[in-house]
Amino acid sequence: MVHKVLAEQVAGGMNTTAIRIRESGIERRARFRGLAEPLSLLAALVVLIGVFSLFNERFLTASNLQNVLTQSAIPLIVAVGATLVILLGSIDLSVEGVMGATGMTWILLSANSRGGADLGPWAWVIALGVALVLGVASGLIFTALKVPSFIVTLGMWYIGLGIATMLYGTDLLPRLEDEALSGWTSRITLGLPNSFWVALLVIGLGILVLRSTRIGRVTLAIGNSETIVRSAGLPAFRVKVAVFAIAAVLSGLGGILATVQLDIGSPTVGSGVLFIVIPAVVIGGTHLGGGKGGILRTVLGVFLLTILNNGLILSGVESSYQSAVTGVILVAAIVFAAWSQRDRLRVAK
Amino acid sequence: MTKTDNETTKIAVPTRRRLQAVKRIGGWHAIGPIVIFLVILLVVAILTPAFIGSGGLAIIASSSAPILLLALGQAMVLNVGSIDLSNAAIGLLGAILLALTLGPVAGLSPLIVLLATTAFGAVNGLILAYAQVPSFALTLGTLGIFQAAALVASNRTTVYVASNGESVRSLYESGIANVPMTFWMGVLLAVALWALLRYTRIGRGMTAIGKNESAAIFSAVRTRSLKVLAFALSGFAAGLAGIAIIAQAGSASPTGLGSDLLLPAIAAALIGGTSISGGVVNPLTVIFGALTVALVPIATTAVGIEAQAQSLVYGAVIIAVVALTMSRNKSSIVK
Repeated sequence: MVHKVLAEQVAGGMNTTAIRIRESGIERRARFRGLAEPLSLLAALVVLIGVFSLFNERFLTASNLQNVLTQSAIPLIVAVGATLVILLGSIDLSVEGVMGATGMTWILLSANSRGGADLGPWAWVIALGVALVLGVASGLIFTALKVPSFIVTLGMWYIGLGIATMLYGTDLLPRLEDEALSGWTSRITLGLPNSFWVALLVIGLGILVLRSTRIGRVTLAIGNSETIVRSAGLPAFRVKVAVFAIAAVLSGLGGILATVQLDIGSPTVGSGVLFIVIPAVVIGGTHLGGGKGGILRTVLGVFLLTILNNGLILSGVESSYQSAVTGVILVAAIVFAAWSQRDRLRVAK
Repeated sequence: MTKTDNETTKIAVPTRRRLQAVKRIGGWHAIGPIVIFLVILLVVAILTPAFIGSGGLAIIASSSAPILLLALGQAMVLNVGSIDLSNAAIGLLGAILLALTLGPVAGLSPLIVLLATTAFGAVNGLILAYAQVPSFALTLGTLGIFQAAALVASNRTTVYVASNGESVRSLYESGIANVPMTFWMGVLLAVALWALLRYTRIGRGMTAIGKNESAAIFSAVRTRSLKVLAFALSGFAAGLAGIAIIAQAGSASPTGLGSDLLLPAIAAALIGGTSISGGVVNPLTVIFGALTVALVPIATTAVGIEAQAQSLVYGAVIIAVVALTMSRNKSSIVK
């Protein structure tokens, strides 16, 4: 009898040891897994660059790389905001609408072929103000009326497009008439295109906000568990509105830069950006459920998609296949990320 | 004293009874979509009586047919707590395939298209259920793939039906009560899906997944196969939408009729009372969701709002209608 109890105790002790060993193993693997995704993305980027430079010698020239950076600048700026929203566990579908509304407001208040007022720098302030209003409206409807962010921002997409179409009206299309500004985005300063410098600034600020401000920390916490955030008395409501406002202002900035790049004002200036930005965020490894991920990962995601599209075109692949390539990479990335965590009882929405 | 008591009970009883009656047919979000449609219709009828008189309702119904079919598929997927962003692209690919094959294989063509689109939907479901990936990202990816497939299959141009188009066209040209068969096809599908959800183990299981997936797994609901089925149904409905597009236009192109139905169809499902987080759906009210979505552009013109403002009104209506009809409680967390 005594022996049996002793034996059980020993076995129990061994069990806890076994569990501890297993736990530390899981922890080690989790730490590795945290690094594995960005590292595999970097590896994929290097492989891609290698393969494309074999297919076409023009790929690795300085001018093409500057081209890639110009192409990635606007998606990068918009994606910083989208990452913050997705870290909340929400989604922002309104980017293309906000880009259209902001871009149209900006060009109509700048020197353009339709005439009208040229407000110079105030055009930027007013246009970004329009974006801010749209973002705050999304945030308030989302938090105060508890309408899911998917629907609010879907509606705001249409509202933004509507504002842009109304501003556009039935007049001739407004062309940018500012010598200093037209072509500014792709002009090179210190080896990098101007728009990419703006993107770098936005990325830097985004990382700073996420790592070292209350808004950033609470954003991550809301993504992990909003119930805990609320019971800890943290300002979930205000932070959510702020994040939607930041995202909209960044979309607006992207809209202005896209208008400068296009040289004309168009309500659909942002078309196609959403289909780069959200896949890029997800490929980067930010969870759609919120709480996990980061801005640098998103940057890798944007680069992966831009380099792929640029390289494929240079390799002579028809542009019809472009969206399929983005799609296949997106599906492969999420399957790769989720494969090790598969479990019969796991719930993935 | 007793008199006032009697009076209050007299007033209270009918209201309570009325509330119970509302509850019995499924609460505010069940009748909300119908009320909203009727209110907007009433406004249009008062402002432009000629429109309703001259068969305007038939026009609304016929233009809502592809949206309705896609919205029904979307509603089934939303009901299991997922979302299908690829269904409109599947529908358009179906339309292009139908236009390409109607000449060579004639009567078999719609069957082939429906089989293909159902299979596309099922593939979505299989990857979702077995790789356990989020549906939003997965179907965003497959959306890109189906879009590219449509571009390649059509060679970036409009594909016209070469021959044998009459049978498909008759779906649009013939009808009951001046409303084309394509719309009645949607109504029929809605009734079938309603019966599936209401009376069968399969349908009940789907709703259970949407309400609480963990609980459904522990209750031995076959969650994986039911999710695959929901996505397959979405593909099937998208195939029907493709047929409706060909019936209406006689041709299909990657940028033509039906190329931007994804968001209107999602809006129709949501306005139709479907919960975006799953577990709440009624295919019969989705019919009114689709009718509302088709009515809004007509209503904005009737009210005298300029054409440029249409998408603004559209966006505001989506937000307002969902905000009005959504069931919510104070402590719930909305993402």
